[in-house]
Amino acid sequence: MEIEEKLSVLNYKTDKGFEHITVTPDICEVCPDYFCTFACPAKCYTVMEGKLNFKYEDCVECGTCLFACSHGSVKWNNVKGGHGVKYKYG
Amino acid sequence: MAIKIIVMMKQVPDAEEIFIDPVKFTLNRAQARGIINPSDENALECALKIKDQTGAEITVLSMGPPAAESAIIECMGRGADRGVLVTDRVFAAADTYATSLTLAASVKNLGEFDLIIAGESTTDSGTGHVGPGVAEFLGIDQATYCTSLHIENDALVAERDLEDGTEVVSIGLPALATVLISSNIPRRAKLRLKIDALRKGIEKWDHDTLKLPPEWVGIKGSPTVVGALKIPEERKRAAKRITVDQLGELVKELGGMGLIKTEEEEA
Amino acid sequence: MSEFDAIIVGAGPAGSSAAIKLASSGLTTLLVEKADPPGSKNVSGGIMWGNELGGVLPDWEKDAPLERYVISKGTGLLTSDSLISVDFRSRKFESRKTGYSVLRAKFDQYLANKAKSKGATLVTGVTVDGLALKDGKVAGVIQEGDEITADTVILAEGVNPRVAISSGLRPEIGDKDVAIGVKQVVKLSEATINERFNIRGNSGFAGEYVLGFLKNGVKAGGFLYTNKETISVGAVINVGTLRADNETHSFEIMDQFVNHPFISPYLEGGKMEEYSAHLVCEGGIGSVPKIYGDGYLIAGDAAGFSYSNGLIIQGINYAITSGIAAADTVIEAKSKSNFSSGMLRGYEDRLQGKYVLKDLKKFRGIEEVTWSNLAHKALPDIAEETLFNLFYEEGIPKRHLMEIVLSATKKSGVKKTDMILEAYRTMRRM
Repeated sequence: MEIEEKLSVLNYKTDKGFEHITVTPDICEVCPDYFCTFACPAKCYTVMEGKLNFKYEDCVECGTCLFACSHGSVKWNNVKGGHGVKYKYG
Repeated sequence: MAIKIIVMMKQVPDAEEIFIDPVKFTLNRAQARGIINPSDENALECALKIKDQTGAEITVLSMGPPAAESAIIECMGRGADRGVLVTDRVFAAADTYATSLTLAASVKNLGEFDLIIAGESTTDSGTGHVGPGVAEFLGIDQATYCTSLHIENDALVAERDLEDGTEVVSIGLPALATVLISSNIPRRAKLRLKIDALRKGIEKWDHDTLKLPPEWVGIKGSPTVVGALKIPEERKRAAKRITVDQLGELVKELGGMGLIKTEEEEA
Repeated sequence: MSEFDAIIVGAGPAGSSAAIKLASSGLTTLLVEKADPPGSKNVSGGIMWGNELGGVLPDWEKDAPLERYVISKGTGLLTSDSLISVDFRSRKFESRKTGYSVLRAKFDQYLANKAKSKGATLVTGVTVDGLALKDGKVAGVIQEGDEITADTVILAEGVNPRVAISSGLRPEIGDKDVAIGVKQVVKLSEATINERFNIRGNSGFAGEYVLGFLKNGVKAGGFLYTNKETISVGAVINVGTLRADNETHSFEIMDQFVNHPFISPYLEGGKMEEYSAHLVCEGGIGSVPKIYGDGYLIAGDAAGFSYSNGLIIQGINYAITSGIAAADTVIEAKSKSNFSSGMLRGYEDRLQGKYVLKDLKKFRGIEEVTWSNLAHKALPDIAEETLFNLFYEEGIPKRHLMEIVLSATKKSGVKKTDMILEAYRTMRRM
């Protein structure tokens, strides 16, 4: 089962007005390791044609990327207003 | 004096958590948690925007089981001033006719008002009947499919999103408007307001409050009969990833399927 | 005059336990949770060990949403081809239940609602932005510019405590403080689960595994817990070794575990109903910050309270105990109208008196054992080689067990001295 398929069973209430995680493209552009792409359990970070892509909509708010990135690119906030992932089992 | 707005809100089972029973073909809502009907969030946001601009007193009116209280508190946490939950077992299993009638009676019971705003439809039935139904029972003008609402010179100015364009209408107050889900981004509740809402509490009205004839409400007052339910066939997603140089092939393919017209055909 | 006696940030086991205790004692309590409903962002492997909840809810075993009690505790080493495991089953666990599988979305909502029914003000779906300070003391919380005041704030935000960190009350989390937890909930019928795990009624199985088959030095543990009609299965991944490798994806480790030939039969035919990920508090005493100060206390995962030695992972019990101890401290502080650091120090004393801080101090350095090369590589390989040679009948003269072990050890490439050293460390720290 691909990770995309696994994420598709989850219930997200995406906050269209607030991206709780942002990355700094200038830092990512020269990243020597892209460890975020290996660490993030929801595959929110991918490298395509040499560029880092990040999508906050798939985030399960685990906090891994916050410290996985050792270059200071990731700005991590809690989601607001009850948005984000909504587990039914947990 | 600030105008009086009533926002009609329904707590619905989270559509993401509803499953169709593969054997019985019924909706399994057992696992689904309650949320504010999405377009009702937009309706509330429209009311709050008017409140921001010109001041307004907003009452959230909901009909449903006692658990809907949390949804009303959430609305008050976003800025609504008052919450009323119409809840009674005799109102249960009402169709859109009986629901509209009960809500219209509730609006009358609230006293004077200038504007009623509701979501265009709910995710758990999707008829879009209730907003217009309430307006009809109250005998007031209505604007449906709205994307933005303003009050100008004691009239409601509403932008309506129609199939072939946008229509701007101005209708006299009191009026009712139903709002589309695309109309705005609902604001978040604030801790301060939610604490205040919990302290203030909501009002609960039942059959004794409204004093409607029993045959007008609930299942007795509902003429709708569900004949049969059919599940649409599930379609596979057709999305696929292509590179720029494959674009020509894709155009040909889609043309072949009759999904798009190519220039050659048009010429 | 403060608006509340106490504000608690986070309605997990720590926060809700504290709120239940405070509200039951008549203190005005505000419990704020960012998820709506409470519990819907919380994940744990799934076993609550111990009976701490009895401290605030005497009838919890009757009305809490518990899945199954643990009657069978498995510990195993997995290599690519083999599973070496010990499965301890005992009827003694029937009369003295010590662990229950729980699903946090339901369990945490139950606890938060208990706090509400005891009189706490429960606000959900709202995220606290920071702490309100007055004369250098914590005087409440700030949310969207509004200040809500309280005599004491209990920070029970969980493993990634943004408020505590942004307020400088604890450092940012790092590779050594946490592991990455990934989990799947797989739906199967109750009868199938009972049959596959050889259990009946509401008894259950809890298994933890060393994933010795992982390549390139990556280290992770796996878990397999039975719920009533689902199985919780997942992996806990060491960050440092994943980083050093920089080739393995965290989510692939999950797949490797569930597809292992001796794990997949348990899950066969089941429907994957939820995938989740959460950080796991793993740092031991080294991750515990100062847990009290003027006007505030830190409890649960936010304080780094958890225990893992590879055979067992515990956290919920520490959260509950620390939540109750925090509440007791606030109640005492209220009675003396003193919310200073000196007064709230009683929290640490209370935890010293209980197992929470005692365990963490006694097992200082345990995280090094949990993630040692011995446990994750040498031991699985040596055990597999030894047992295979012991049980495989080749029709040649048999060897002494010791001979087999020594040759397996040699084959594993681990230096004898390193192994003795690690074994000694393990024995001492475990």
